[in-house]
Order: sequence, then structure tokens, then C-alpha cells
Amino acid sequence: MAEKADVWQGTLALMILKTLETLGPLHGYGIARRIEQTSANHLSVNYGTLYPSLLKLEQEGYIASEWGVSENNRRAKFYRLTRAGRKQVEKEAREWERTTAIVARFLWPGEPSR
Amino acid sequence: MRALRAFVLRVAGLFGRSRRDRDIADELASHLQLHIDDNIRAGMTPDAARRVALIKLGGVEATKERYRDQRGLPMLDTLRQDLTYAIRVLRKDPGFTCTAVLTLALGVGANTAIFSVVNAVLLRPLPYPGADRLVMVFATNTRTGDTADVASHPDYQDWSRAHSFERMGAFAGGGVTVAGAGDAEFVSGMRVSPTLFDTLGVSPTLGRGFTLNEQAPGAPHVVVLSDGFWKRQFGGAADAIGRELRINEAPYTIVGVMPPGFRVTANSAGELYTPLIADPDRNHGYLRVIGRLRPGITTGEAQAEMQVVTAQIAKAFPKSNSRVGANVMPLVDALAANVRTALFILLGVVGLVLLIACTNVASLMLARGAARQRELAVRAALGAGRVRIARQLLTESLLLAFGGAVVGLVVGSWTARGLVTMLSASFPVPRIDDTHTDLWVLGFTLVLALATGAIFGVVPALSSSSPQLTDAMREASRSTTGARAPRLRSGLVILETALALVLLAGAGVLLKTFATLRSTPPGFQSDHLLAADLRLPQPRFALRVDRERFYDTVLSRLRETPGVRSAAFVADLPLNGGSDGLGFHIVGRSDPAPGQSFQAGFNTATAGYFRTMGIPVREGREFADADRGGTPGVIVINETAAKRFWPDRSPLGERIALPRETRVPTTSHERDSDPDAAPVILTVVGVTGDVRHEGLAVPPRPEIFLDAMQSELPWPWSVLAVRTVADPESLVATVKDAARTADRNVPLLRINTMDGILSRAVAGPRVYATLLGAFAALALALAAVGLYGLISYTVSQRTHEMGIRLALGAERGEIVGLVLKRGLVLAGIGAAIGVVVALATTRLLSGLTAGVQPSDPLTFAIVTVVLLATALVASYLPARRAGRVDPMTALRAE
Repeated sequence: MAEKADVWQGTLALMILKTLETLGPLHGYGIARRIEQTSANHLSVNYGTLYPSLLKLEQEGYIASEWGVSENNRRAKFYRLTRAGRKQVEKEAREWERTTAIVARFLWPGEPSR
Repeated sequence: MRALRAFVLRVAGLFGRSRRDRDIADELASHLQLHIDDNIRAGMTPDAARRVALIKLGGVEATKERYRDQRGLPMLDTLRQDLTYAIRVLRKDPGFTCTAVLTLALGVGANTAIFSVVNAVLLRPLPYPGADRLVMVFATNTRTGDTADVASHPDYQDWSRAHSFERMGAFAGGGVTVAGAGDAEFVSGMRVSPTLFDTLGVSPTLGRGFTLNEQAPGAPHVVVLSDGFWKRQFGGAADAIGRELRINEAPYTIVGVMPPGFRVTANSAGELYTPLIADPDRNHGYLRVIGRLRPGITTGEAQAEMQVVTAQIAKAFPKSNSRVGANVMPLVDALAANVRTALFILLGVVGLVLLIACTNVASLMLARGAARQRELAVRAALGAGRVRIARQLLTESLLLAFGGAVVGLVVGSWTARGLVTMLSASFPVPRIDDTHTDLWVLGFTLVLALATGAIFGVVPALSSSSPQLTDAMREASRSTTGARAPRLRSGLVILETALALVLLAGAGVLLKTFATLRSTPPGFQSDHLLAADLRLPQPRFALRVDRERFYDTVLSRLRETPGVRSAAFVADLPLNGGSDGLGFHIVGRSDPAPGQSFQAGFNTATAGYFRTMGIPVREGREFADADRGGTPGVIVINETAAKRFWPDRSPLGERIALPRETRVPTTSHERDSDPDAAPVILTVVGVTGDVRHEGLAVPPRPEIFLDAMQSELPWPWSVLAVRTVADPESLVATVKDAARTADRNVPLLRINTMDGILSRAVAGPRVYATLLGAFAALALALAAVGLYGLISYTVSQRTHEMGIRLALGAERGEIVGLVLKRGLVLAGIGAAIGVVVALATTRLLSGLTAGVQPSDPLTFAIVTVVLLATALVASYLPARRAGRVDPMTALRAE
């Protein structure tokens, strides 16, 4: 447990968006599990930050939500990507790439950027 | 855009909390359920599955809290909490709440009232397009010190060439008589330059304005009507244009009608406009000049240019213009010049009252803060931060302030109504009738509320928000938590007392001025005296014989009327507003300087004027019925003139010569001065007592009276003075009748008792003394309440100590004295500070009215005594209570 990193605030939003882009409409629990699995359990999603993040994205119009029924017949709130959200994923992914490239140049100078 | 959308949704998120709270609770429950399902699928027992899921989910309430923060705006949420709590707290203590709100309402109300008058009179733009570029250009005269003089026509024309102005227009007031079916009607007329309407940016709704050639002497007579006159006399008929109107007994063609509500100056309702006839005489000032500044030009720049222009004129015409300058003033200020200073002083005064009110409430809050020490300590102990507590206290203050503002708005609109009635009954104030609560007034009150809330809230909020926890908790109910709060409160009480003293001193100084003026002998007997203002229209009364006939008819009729002791005519009645000057030479004596003449006040009167007015004749005689057109010309002078011009001998028999170019006062368009006439030689036949002609505060000037029966000057104004046996009011109808039957073309403008005129002459000081007195009384009452509050508080805090003292054998008198001393020391310090400040500020009051003695020692002594006496009463009540403490009860209380 101890070595599991908490997800940073800023990147959580991108992960949520990307998850929804890949998997389509999904409930909060599903999103959290997916993020943890994708990170090969290196990351632990704090639910205290997950739901406010979802709300924030919804307020910004990147995702929309509605109540539905899960695969095993449980009532759950499903989030889906909006058109604006789709654009946002692309934009943020590009930015992320750029930022990491820059940081990489600082950390490993001389090596070709990855 | 995104941020805005999110913000809007978050504001929306402040509402419908319970539904949304249920929603998140449901979502978290569903999350938990999904997790448990997963865990069970992974092979856990239901109990373990649930436990693990709960641990992973973490604190549900904390998550909900963060979710809520994201949903709404946490700041607003807290504010709502603070407000709800503040309302609850204030409702629990209605005594405190009412006192505070009422105190603030009085302070805010006074400010709102004065501000709404200031707003109407000075701030609201004048009803002309681009009114902010309109300025009044006054003539100035370094000899008389006049800075708002009238200008001559040639000066006005030279001025209008200045580059700072887009346009310039001039006007001269003066009533005209309009012949109607019945008695002559006197209406307010205005002679305006052809450019004036354009300068103001208003054009006639019907017909046209004036053309440039219509200002030439001898041009065809034309007239423009006001909308009111047009509707009244012509029923608003469009064919009024081109019709004829008889004005001053001459036919005038109507060429235009002005739009409704149009006025040349905001406070004079002109009914008829006729073209201004150019008088080429530079000595004859009769014009008010209005200019429209070019865009981007400031009043200061225009003033600078006018200085150059007037200097050039003075160089070219040194004889007439060496002392004449110009004074450029925004039109809105020029119109309200008589009340501008007064309004600003009043604004300052009510500002002080509000400050006292704030101080009082701050002191109340401090007292409450001390009582709430325990509550605050508990909150702090439970983890409330200092900022959070201070914010809570500040919210309470602001809430109180808004309560005060709302009530104050009501108080203010009542006060404003009273103020308007009072001011407009005393002297003309332009646009004061427009006083009402508009958005500006509301905004002002709102800002005031915020400011007051901040002022009286900050001190207690800061001083109470960091309670010494352990002390406060331990001391429980009996708390004398440090000397800090009482010391602060003492400071506030001192401040209040000082402010109250400043206001009291101001009111005292004005009251003294009023009393002094009121007891100044005007020089005549005002009782049993009636004065009727008449106008002798031109050209009917252009000739001396016509006036003589009219005077004789009226006077002989009145002298036969029972109840009339005597009657006479005078051109300018003392204290009635009119006055004129005269330049003359003394026969057998050289002029004061080559090319200059002696100067004196100038008036004309008929036989018996001085007897009628009750002005004593000191030497010689006054005018007699025998002084007529054919007999030698006589003058009567006053004592000041006798002393000034003949200091070494009796003036009786001395002669003066009126220069040919004597100013002929006239409102007729043509001046009938004959340049070839020989100088008029007049002999002094009498010396009379001095009269305060121009105002009770203005020392008598030298005056020369001509006999109205002899004077050739076609003076259009005349006042009929009648001394009565009984109540003068009972003869009003008789006097009106006598004037009307003598000549129905002579309009009677107004009729007053001389007592009424005298009381109007002190209206300014009376109104200001009343207003300042009322505000000072309010201030004193507030300060007294503040002092009372503090002393009572101290007494209640020290009951225990008093009990011990009494038990140890102290006399009750000593205890009372102890408490009294504390009150008096505070008030004394406040009074001392107040006196120093008042000495520096009462000088400002000279701007209000003439005759103010700013630092009269007696006045200061009296107001200080009044203040200390009030303080004594305010501290005696709690002191007596202290003296009555029962030692046993006091000691047992703990």
C-alpha cells in the first residue's frame, strides 16, 4: 500500500477523460477501478477527490451524467464524454506530451527526447 | 467561457441543496455497492467485502463535504452560514439590535437626507444637452470685490470671441407686464441674446428663435413664448405664431415657442423671451453670460484665457474696464452658489453625526464582545480560526449596518422632505423640488452602510476574535477580561464627546450669529408697517409727471383711509434685495481723484418716507410735499454719508452735482439719457439715521436719497410703504385696492409686512442654526447614550468590587463620586479635544452666512458646560445604581 502514489489533481481529470474516451459511458467506481488497473495498481484513486473532479468536469461541460443500471443490475450514475470533452482530451494529451518532453530534457539532458 | 459556465452552475449549486445532497449520497451508496459486489466476486465474505470497501472509500462525510465545496461556492456558502447565524444571534438580543439599528438609522438617515438634496441641487446634470460643458462667465470687479457681477454688452461681445468657448449667450432678467383682458399681468420675462438658445442646446418647438439683427435698437419687436405661457394664453394653438402680444404696452409679434420645461437658468421660470437689445455702454453691466466650452477644454483653461481677454479689454478701455475681470464657473455650481457651501458644510456635519453613531455602535459591540467572550472562546476551542471568528463578527456588523441603512432610508426621505420645505421657504434654492430618492441616493446609502459596517465592525471584530482561551473559559460568567476592551471603549466615548462638542460649538456659533442679527437695530421701526412692491411699466411711466401723478393719486387716497397713519413711496426698500449706487461730485470740492467721483448708495423716496419708516431725522428736514418738479432739487443723506463726505461741518445746505453720465437704471430697451443735459445740482436738506439696507450683518453704507417727485430717472420699481394704526395685515386689501384704482396697468408684485421682510433677512442664519442645532442635539444625545452605556457597563462589571468597598466601610457618596468622576474625566478629555478642533473648524461657518464670529469665548464656554452637564446626567444614573449596591448581594453573587 505504502508505495502506491496518489493521483495528482491535474492529471486525474485527464485520466478520467481518457478512460471515458476509451471505454464509453461508465460509473464513478468503474472509472476509479480502470485508472487503478491501467496504472498496474501503482496508483490509488482517492474517492474524496474523484467525485469533486467528476462534478468539476461536468460543470465545465466536458462530461455529462445520468442515472442508469450497471451490468449486474445495480443503479449507478453513468458519466459520458461530451463533444467538448472529446476535444479537451486531445488538447490535454498534447499538452501533457509537451510538458513531459520538456521535463525529460531537464532530467536526462543529451538523450534524445522520448 | 468554460470558467463562466462553471461559475454559473456553481452559483446555481447554492440552491436546492437537499435534492443534490441526496444525489451524491445515492451515488456514493451505489459506488459502495458496486465495490462490495466486486469484492464478493473476488471471493470475500459479505462482511469482509463491506469492510474493505468502506475503508477504501474513506470518510464518506469528508467526501461529501469536498463535493459540496466543488458544487457551490464555499465562500458564499460560508457567508450564508454566517448570515443565518448572525440573524439568529441578533434576534436573540432584540434590545441591542434595536438600539444599534436605530442609532445607525438616525446617522444614515441624516446623511441620506442631506445627500438627496445635494444630489438634486448640485449633482444631477442640468436639463440641457451636454450640460457639463456649460459655464457661467461672471464679471469681476476688484474695486468692489464682487466676483459674480453682471457684464456689459460690449464686454460680453468681446468675451464671446475667446477660443475656449464654442458659443456664448447672454440674458438679463426682469419682469414685464402683459396687457390682458383684466388687470395688467406681471410675468417673468427674460431678455436673451440670439445665441443663448443655441448655447444651451435647446431650440424652439414651434417657430424660431431670434436673429442677430433683432438685437439692434429699433428692430421690430418679437417675442418667444414659454410652453406654459403659450398653453395658458393661447390654448397651445399653433397659429399663435405671428399673432401679436402687448408687452409693456408695445405690440410684439410672436415668433416661437420653447419646449416644455425649458428654463434659462434652473431656478427662474421665464414666461416670455424678448431679444436682448445691445447697449454700447461698457459701464452698464446688466448681463448674465453663459458659455459652452469647446469639447476637451476645462473650466481652468477657459478661466486662463478669459484672464488674457479681460486684460486686453482693460488695456483698450481703461476708463471703464481697468478693474473688470472674468470668473468662469460651471453652470451647475453658479446656479446654486448661495447654498453650495451650506450644503457641503451640512454634509460634513451629518458625516460627523454618522461617525458618532458608528462609534456608539462600535462601543455597544465591544460591550457585547466582552459578554460573548465565553461563546467565542468555545468556538475558538472547537477549532474556529481567528479569521473565521472575525468574519462572523464582521458579518453581524454589516447586517446591523444594512438594517440601519434600510430604516435610515425611510428616516432620510422624511427628513429630506422636511429639509426641502424648510430651505425653500427661506430662500430660493435651484432644483430643490427635484429632491427624491433615486438610484444615486440608494447607491450612496448602500456605500454608506458598507462603510459604517466596516468602521464600527472592525475594531470589535479584531479585538474580540482572539480571546485568551484559558482565561475566558476559566473565568466563566464573571469576566473582566483584561482592561483592553474598556480602554478601547473609553477612547470611543472620548471621540464621541469631542465630535459632539464640535457640532455643539458650530450650532452655538450660528445661534449666536442669529441672535446678534436679530437684535441688531435695522434703523427703522418694522412693526405696523406694510410694504407693497409695484412696477411702473415703461413707457407709460417714462416721464416724471406721469409718476408724480400716480404717486399723488395713491398717496392721497391712502392718507384719507382710516387706519393708515402715513404712506410713502421708495425705490429700494431696506433689506428687500434692491440697491443701487451713485457716483457724484461735491460742488466746491475737488474729486477724490481726477476722473473719479464720490460713491454712495442711492435711492429715491417721496415726502414722508422717513416718518413712515420710523427712521429718525437727525438734522434739517425730510422730503416735503412742497418739493416738486419745479422747486430746487433736494437730497436727504444718512449719518454715514454726512460723516464720510462732510466730516468737519454740517452738510445742510451743501450741494452735490450728478454727472451727466450717471447710470440710469432702466429695464426698458431704449435709454433716454440726453447727453446734452446739464449736470443736476442738488442741495442737502436733511440728515437721517442710518439704516441697514443691504443686510443686517452689513454695516450701513453712505446713502443719498433723491426726491422721487423731482427725479427724472425712470425707475421701474417702486415700493409703497404704509404705516398702519392696527395690525398691518388688515390693510393688505385696502392697499392693493388703492394701487389698482389709481392705475390698473400697474401690477402689484407682492405685499409683505416689514416684520416679515425683517425675519426673511435673518432666514439664512435661522435655518442653518436650526439645522445645525438639530444635528448637534442628535450628536449630544448619541454621545450621552454612549457615555451612559460605558459607565453602566463599568458599574455592572465592578459590582463585586463596590460590594467589597462598601463592606469595608466606604461611604455610598464616595462610590457615587468615584463613578461620576470617571464619566466626567472621559467627557472632560473629549470636550478639551473638541474645543481645540472646534476652534479650527467653526471658521468654516463664515461661508454659510454673514456676521459669524467663529471663536466667540462665551459661546464656547456655554456649549462646554452643556456638554459636561449632559455627561454628568449620563453618568449619574449608573453612579446612583452603584451607590445602591447591597454589599451582601454583591458578594454573594459570585
